[in-house]
Amino acid sequence: MTQKDSIAVTGEAITLTGVSKTYMTASGALPVLRDIDLHIEAGQFVSFVGPSGCGKSTLLNIIAGLVSYDTGTVTVGGQPPREGRDDIGFMLQKSVLMPWLNVSKNIELPFIIARRRGADTAQRVTDLLELVGLSDYATMNSWELSGGMQQRVALARALALDPGVMLMDEPFSALDEFKREHLNIEVAHMSERFGKTTILVTHSISEAVLMSDRIIALGANPGRMVGDITVDLERPRRPEMIGSDRFQQISNEVRAALSQGMEESQ
Amino acid sequence: MTQSLWYRIGLPVGVFVIFVAIWQILSVTGTLNPVTFPSPLEITIAFGELVTRGYFWDATRITLLETLLGFIIGAALGLVIGALTGTFRTFRTAFYPFVVAFQNTPRVALAPIFLTWFGFGITSKVVMAAVICFFPVVINTVAGIAGVDENAKTLFRSLGASKAQTFFRLTLPGASAMAFAGIKTALTLALLGAIVGEFVGASEGLGVLIKELNFQLEVAMGFAVVIFLAVIGLVLYGLIELLEKRLITWARD
Ligand SMILES: Nc1ncnc2c1ncn2[C@@H]1O[C@H](COP(=O)(O)OP(=O)(O)OP(=O)(O)O)[C@@H](O)[C@H]1O
Ligand SMILES: [Mg+2]
Repeated sequence: MTQKDSIAVTGEAITLTGVSKTYMTASGALPVLRDIDLHIEAGQFVSFVGPSGCGKSTLLNIIAGLVSYDTGTVTVGGQPPREGRDDIGFMLQKSVLMPWLNVSKNIELPFIIARRRGADTAQRVTDLLELVGLSDYATMNSWELSGGMQQRVALARALALDPGVMLMDEPFSALDEFKREHLNIEVAHMSERFGKTTILVTHSISEAVLMSDRIIALGANPGRMVGDITVDLERPRRPEMIGSDRFQQISNEVRAALSQGMEESQ
Repeated sequence: MTQSLWYRIGLPVGVFVIFVAIWQILSVTGTLNPVTFPSPLEITIAFGELVTRGYFWDATRITLLETLLGFIIGAALGLVIGALTGTFRTFRTAFYPFVVAFQNTPRVALAPIFLTWFGFGITSKVVMAAVICFFPVVINTVAGIAGVDENAKTLFRSLGASKAQTFFRLTLPGASAMAFAGIKTALTLALLGAIVGEFVGASEGLGVLIKELNFQLEVAMGFAVVIFLAVIGLVLYGLIELLEKRLITWARD
């Protein structure tokens, strides 16, 4: 069995209608998201961009089932989100690997938590290691790896249960630019190949353009959609595309939407 | 910079040798009163005599028993209470203030009370040792649990981990390095607790022996017992560090 066979092509649609969220803080009610309407097709790669604090992570966490919302409805693959859905893979800015587990065991963790460890798990972990290019590091301690490799392990772990939806919150923002671009391209290729619906939260417009089919620009206070930009660059995506005219045009569209949003906020 | 093994062992050994040599010279020249301050040589001779006496080994056994029993009971209770306190908010709110308040009172002051409660046998010493051990373990376990990475908790939530899974696969290993630091402190304190307990009132043990030797003005032998206790403390610490290295392989400096 090759890695391609063992990772299925399984996208799921995501729909949000009229979603609002207000945090209750010590200093009073803080409206974070207002009236978010968003439909994401199965297999689409979508980025959320926007200023710090505009609610990108909150929106992603709502879709992950980690944060509750006050109004509206959310469905992922037709079902309301909740914690522990095998079909939702989640990746954070930090790799959060368990230092007491080696690389393989870290990737195996989702199987153990979901009580789905079986005869084929070891093969699956091997395939995932190969996919993220860490076959030679299976028995290494996670803290012996570089930051980029640690994020690769986290990526493999997020893919472990073969989710139809990948949610990534600034997954590579702690890495240097070179590693980051490299990993971004890899993730873009994976989503092209496996057709997983992917949402990427990022501060970088060029990162969003390079990877996405579609970019959702968010404005702050309260967080709302201020732009929905289609990225029609051809796939597979390549780093050289960053220099192209079309790339610049799209980037400027995103930038314009964001600054318009900023003005409305003030 | 990592120091070579020779350097790390040789340097303290060298310091020890020089210290003993100066002490011996001060004794031989009469600067130190030989009655109250025996020379290293006399202490060594006294120790050689001590090890031939049965009561010395009986006392050692008793003190070690008190220390280890007290340590095991105190540390185990500390781990359980620490885990409950760290995990359940209600438990923490209800009981942790008392732990903190008690932590700051000198616990050896309880020794006379334990003596009246539990008598001259080993029980009062075991209890004393256990009480002293308990606190660093509780406090470190609670701190260890509080220090578990928030991002890791989020990850476990996203994976749909049950409370038990989160506890055994995240909280427990995550807090163990910190908890173990408390356990290490506790072991050293257990010996202290046992000896203090013996000083306050006991029929047997190394603490009793030190007191008796002092009464009989066998100062050299008294010194020998104190140094023997220091060695016991070192050996216990070495053993617990070995155990720590085996159990917590991932904690780097
Ligand atoms: N658990 C919480 N309780 C209260 N307020 C919160 C909570 N989480 C986030 N907030 C607030 O909600 C707002 C949106 O936060 P969020 O993390 O979603 O923003 P973000 O767009 O991801 O920002 P960044 O780009 O800095 O990551 C911020 O003002 C933040 O302080
Ligand atoms: Mg965020």
